[in-house]
Amino acid sequence: MAIVKVDKLAKSVFQGPSLMTGSYPTKDWMEVPAVFKPGNFAYPAKKEKVEYMNSQQGLSFPNAREWWPEDDDWKLPENWKEIIINGLKDRLDKFRSLKIFMDCCVRCGACADKCHFFLGTGDPKNMPVLRAELLRSVYRNDFTLAGKLLGKMAGAREMTVGVLKEWFMYAYQCTECRRCSVFCPYGIDQAEITMMMREMLHLVGVGINWILEPASNSNRTGNHMGLQPHTFKDNVDFLVDDVENLTGVRVEPTFNRKGAEILFITPSADVFAEPGLYTAMGYLILFHAIGLDYTWSTYASEGGNFGLFTNNQTMKKLNAKMYAEAKRLGVKYIIGGECGHMWRVLHQYMDTMNGPADFLEVPKSPITSTVFDNAASTKMIHISEFTADLIKNNKLNIDKSRNDHVYATWHDSCNTSRGMGLLEEPRYILDNVVNNWVDMPENAIREKTFCCGSGTGLNTDEIMEIRMRGGLPRANAVKYVHERYGVNTLGCVCAIDRATLTSLMNYWVPEVTVAGLTELVGNSLVLEGEQRQELDEGLRTLV
Amino acid sequence: MNLFETLQEKKKQILSVWAERTLDSYTSSGFFKKSLDTIANPTGANIREGLSRIIDLLLAGGDQQEYAGPLDQIIRIRAVQDFSPSQAVVPFLELKWIIRQILNDNKNTRHLTQELTDLDCEIDRLALAAFDKYMECREQLFQVRIKELKSGSYILSDSPCPSSLLERTRVDDSGKIN
Repeated sequence: MAIVKVDKLAKSVFQGPSLMTGSYPTKDWMEVPAVFKPGNFAYPAKKEKVEYMNSQQGLSFPNAREWWPEDDDWKLPENWKEIIINGLKDRLDKFRSLKIFMDCCVRCGACADKCHFFLGTGDPKNMPVLRAELLRSVYRNDFTLAGKLLGKMAGAREMTVGVLKEWFMYAYQCTECRRCSVFCPYGIDQAEITMMMREMLHLVGVGINWILEPASNSNRTGNHMGLQPHTFKDNVDFLVDDVENLTGVRVEPTFNRKGAEILFITPSADVFAEPGLYTAMGYLILFHAIGLDYTWSTYASEGGNFGLFTNNQTMKKLNAKMYAEAKRLGVKYIIGGECGHMWRVLHQYMDTMNGPADFLEVPKSPITSTVFDNAASTKMIHISEFTADLIKNNKLNIDKSRNDHVYATWHDSCNTSRGMGLLEEPRYILDNVVNNWVDMPENAIREKTFCCGSGTGLNTDEIMEIRMRGGLPRANAVKYVHERYGVNTLGCVCAIDRATLTSLMNYWVPEVTVAGLTELVGNSLVLEGEQRQELDEGLRTLV
Repeated sequence: MNLFETLQEKKKQILSVWAERTLDSYTSSGFFKKSLDTIANPTGANIREGLSRIIDLLLAGGDQQEYAGPLDQIIRIRAVQDFSPSQAVVPFLELKWIIRQILNDNKNTRHLTQELTDLDCEIDRLALAAFDKYMECREQLFQVRIKELKSGSYILSDSPCPSSLLERTRVDDSGKIN
C-alpha cells in the first residue's frame, strides 16, 4: 500500500475509494486473476496417490506430477486445453443435467447472497451464479453459436491457464452444500457444476491431497484412515471397554459375521476420533439395548465416500464396496450411521450407479416390524429413521434427565437435510431424549441450513481461515441461540460436521460443544442390568 | 451546541458513512450493506451493529472494557477474511476522518473540529484495542488449527498404514528399493 498524503487521505475517506484501507479495485470479474498464497489453497494431491488411484481398475487419474498452486507453471500436460474441452464435451453429452444447467440460468441473482462462502468473504466469485459462470463462460465459447460469434459480448471466454486456476480456486471454495439450489427458480444444482469442474481438473492432474488420500485409503483398506481390519476392530473394542466402565454393561459387537440380519456402516471417524467416539458408543449402547442382530464390517468400514468429491467413477466404486460386503455377508439390509455425504451418494446417485440392490430385502425393523418403504430400492436406512421408529413404538427405556447437562440446538447437515429430506426424525429424537433444545432461526435450518463450511473434503487445517469464514453463517446462528437461550450443545448427524463444527465453535462460540445425535440417545438410555455411575457429562464423563 | 451534542445529533449520519466505508472493503458489498438480518447477512449486519454500539459507547464516554463486545463482533470476522492486519483494523481510525468531514461540511459546526483532541485519543485507544483483539483472534485461529492436528484428524492424510511402514523398513534394511 502506497503512503498517501494526509490531505488526500482525508478527502478519499469521504469521497472516493479508501486510500487508507486499500480497497479492492473495481474491475470486471474476468479481469481479476486467481492469486494463490499460503492459506488460500488446499495442498495438491501427492504424486504417488494420484498414480495409485490411476492404477486402479475402473478409475482414471492421469497426469500425476509434483506441482504447486503458487507456482506460475503448474506443469500441465502439453495438450491440457484439448483435454479440458474434450472432457467438457464428454460430460455435456453424458449428463443432460449439466447441459441444462449451462443453458437455463437467467442470472436472476436469487442464489447470489445464499452461499456461506459469499456471505463470509464478499468475493463475487463465491456467488453461486458467478462460480458457475467460470465454467459457463467456457461452455459458451466452445459450445454455443452466440458465444462463437459474439465472444465476450455473449459472456464467452477462451479456456486459458488463468481460467483453469480460477476453477481450482473456486471449485474448492464450494462445499457442494446446495443451499443456493433451494433458492434457484430453475433448481440449478450448483453442486453438480462444482463436481464437473473438479472432475475436469482431475483430468489434467489437478486435485487436493486431503480428498485423494482418504479416497485412495478407502479404495485400499475400506476406510479413510487406512485402518486395517485388526486396528478397526481394536478401536471398537476400546469403546466396548469404555461403555462397560461407564454403564457396567458389556456390549458385544460382532465383526464380519455372516448371516447377521443387518450390516451397520458408519464413518470410520466414529470409531477413531473425538467427538465421533461418543456417537459410536451411542450406537453400541442402542443396539445392545434392543438386542439387534447386526454386524460391523472391517472391510466396508467407511460410510464416507470421498469419491463424490473427485469423480463419478470413484464415487461409484466406493459406494459399491458397501453393497459387495452386504452381499458377501448375506445380510438382509444395511443401517447407515451418522454420515453426511454417504447419504447424498446413496439418496441421489446409488440407485442409478449400483442399484437396485435386489439381493437385499426391503428394510424391516426386527423390533417394531415397521417396513421402510422409502428404502425399497437402496435397502439402506438411516440410524435416525431407525431410532425414531423405536421411540415412536415405545421400545426404548429413556431417562431424559440424563441429558440435563445439555441445552441443545440442531444443525441440519446439508447432505442429510437437503440431500435426503431427513428433517423431522432428528427433531423427534431430540424431543424425546433431551429436556432442553431449541431450533436456530428459520432461515438457518432445515432446507435452508447453513453448511459447516468444511464439507466436500475441505476439512483440512491448511485452509483454516477459509473454513472459519465459510462457516461464519452457521456459527453466527449458533451464537444467536447461545446468547439468547444458553445453548451449550450443537447436535448433528454427520462425521465431518462433528469434527469441523468443533473447530468452528472453538473459534466463534467456544462455549458450545458438538455432539452426535446417537451420543445424546446413548446418554439417555436405561440399560437392563446397568450399574451406571454418576455421569454428569453423559458418555463424555471421565470415570 | 457543544461537540458531543452535535455528534449525538449527527450520530445517524456518522454511522451511515462509517458502515458504508467499512463495508466497501468487501469486493461485492451490495448485499452486505443492504440486509440488516444478522442471520442472513452475518458479515454486514454484525459489522454495522458493532459500529453502532461503538459510536454509542464513544458518545456516552463508555468504559474501555465495554468496547470488548462490539470490537469482537467486528474484528473476529475481519481476522479470518482476506485482509492484511492493517486493513482489518483501519475502520476504527477512519472514524476520525469521517467525524471531521461531517463537522467541516457545515459552517456552524466547523469550529468544533478544534475540540476533537479527546475524542481522537479515545479513537486511537479503540484502534489499539482492535489490534489486540485482532491478535487474540489470530492466535485463537492457530490454536484451533493446532488442536485439530493434535486431535488426530491429520491421520486422515498423513499417516501411512502399518503395512507401508513395514515396506519402508524393508527398503531401509536392504539399502535399495524393492
